[in-house]
Amino acid sequence: MSVNGSHNAKPKDRTDQRAEVALGALASAVLLLIGFMIVFVFSKAWPSFAHNGLAWFGPGGNVDEQLANIFNSPANPSNYVYTMHAWPLLYATALITGAAVLLSTAISMLSAMFIVEFAPEAMRRVMQPVIRLLAAVPSVVYGLIGILVLVPFVGNHVISGAEKDSVRYVIQLDGSSVLVGVLVLTVMITPIMVAITTDALRSVPRSWTEGAAALGVNRWRALRTVGLRAARPAIVAAVVLATARALGEAIMLSMVSGSVGFAPNPLDGTTFIFEPARTLAATIVDNAEGLSVKPFGQTVYAFAAVLLISSFFLSFAGWAARQSMRKYTLQAR
Amino acid sequence: MKNRLRRVGILSALAIVAAVPAAVPATAAAKPTITMSGSTTVAPLAALLARKYLQVCDHCVNFKLLQGGSDIGVADVAAGRVTIGNSSRDPKPSDPGGLVFNKIANDALCLVSNNANPIPGVDQAGIQAIFGGSVRSWTQVPGSTQTGTIDLFTRTAASGTQDAFLKIFMGTTKVFSGASQKGSNGLVEQSVASDPGGIGYVSLAFTKNVHTIPYKGVECDLRNAKSGQYGGVRNLYMVTRGAPTGATAKWINWITHTKAASKIVGTQWVPLV
Repeated sequence: MSVNGSHNAKPKDRTDQRAEVALGALASAVLLLIGFMIVFVFSKAWPSFAHNGLAWFGPGGNVDEQLANIFNSPANPSNYVYTMHAWPLLYATALITGAAVLLSTAISMLSAMFIVEFAPEAMRRVMQPVIRLLAAVPSVVYGLIGILVLVPFVGNHVISGAEKDSVRYVIQLDGSSVLVGVLVLTVMITPIMVAITTDALRSVPRSWTEGAAALGVNRWRALRTVGLRAARPAIVAAVVLATARALGEAIMLSMVSGSVGFAPNPLDGTTFIFEPARTLAATIVDNAEGLSVKPFGQTVYAFAAVLLISSFFLSFAGWAARQSMRKYTLQAR
Repeated sequence: MKNRLRRVGILSALAIVAAVPAAVPATAAAKPTITMSGSTTVAPLAALLARKYLQVCDHCVNFKLLQGGSDIGVADVAAGRVTIGNSSRDPKPSDPGGLVFNKIANDALCLVSNNANPIPGVDQAGIQAIFGGSVRSWTQVPGSTQTGTIDLFTRTAASGTQDAFLKIFMGTTKVFSGASQKGSNGLVEQSVASDPGGIGYVSLAFTKNVHTIPYKGVECDLRNAKSGQYGGVRNLYMVTRGAPTGATAKWINWITHTKAASKIVGTQWVPLV
């Protein structure tokens, strides 16, 4: 920035100076905002955590009943109900996010490799803007397609009557399920990952892959062993970004994954994927109506606090993963 | 040269930005603005009424209508963010003090099933058995054409409709914990309409694509709700902080005391007069 000033013995350019101050102020404002947000959310959420201790994160009872009891708390602040065991929501969040990210990582790696190395020029020219467009589709649109098409289809044609009957005193299988949630979420986050991975693969120096080709390796292997390896930090960044979007996805999941605070049981066999589950973000959206009831609002803020913390851990994990890959990779991001 | 041009551009942009807000209050300051937020059940009614009211009083006020749910309305009006909070639920002990619930209309709450499964009727014990989870198969429900599992569609705890349903139909019985909780009347209607084994409850205005189940032998329609024969009727409110005053009082009074307003309410809801 001060290159001009030091070499030409001219005073620092005034425009630069002003820009420096303005941008610096803006950047610190963002930091401040994040700081305020954390303090605000945690101060709001504190009573919920304080009343339950570590049991907040554990299983026990029915989450929806607990939410209803909190909502119907008596007016006297000393009689507020706070009992909350949020395990089914935490588990649903991890399950749906994890499954969707795994699925979409596999799909997006393969399609990015195809676009960069194998796709004919004409196809590439069409696919790239289409993928970017897909990444920008609002989630509520996916939610609508999910609830109008996928959920009824799964409910009426995929789930058999016998499967419905087998668990009918525990949970109802009406089509809104882990399966539909994961599928739609995968479709939602894959375009972002494809876009980032494609850019990263393309920025791998041509000479690196050409070097591999010179050793007699075919295109597929060169891409896999050199290109993909070199692009790993960017891939980690893509996974982190996609996971963050999946974690925070609320509207769509509230519409398609079944609005029941239920922990799907893997021991139920194939029925497992048809069971409903509600993530933390979807729970916040579904219950935003009750924010005015004080203990209820504090419980919803507690959900928000957990989401906030998990996104910090996510960023940190991404950073740590990239640190371990610094050797032999592009310093892309 | 370039710099000066840019500066001129910025200045003129600033001038435009400054001019716009300056122009707005000049026209708006003349008449009062009534802002409303809250219940998604009341919102369509409030919109119809507001349109007519503007005609009648010759645009004497400005209206702003937002939605969000009964509890949002109550919270907003308590905090002074809006003039009126719309609510489809009764006052609760935990509501902030000083609020006045002005009743503006009644609304029928209908039990609905899929069109492929036109249940001929149900009584309170039947509703409690179905929604309580003790009856889980349609074969156990008299008059059902379905044989599979019953899919229950209810509302989230914070919903005014849920509150009314529990009070009117369920008594002390708890709703089955596996029931799917939806966020709005429309979502419940959509879910029941696309699931042959589904049953749920919605406001009368949301029953076009589903079969309405007669309750205690009385069909859920406007006529029976008005005559008082239908049992599942609840109250709709416009909530104010303290008793309404000025333009707000005039507006609420117009809704509750004039023929013109009753006529609009009577299209899909139950008027008070």
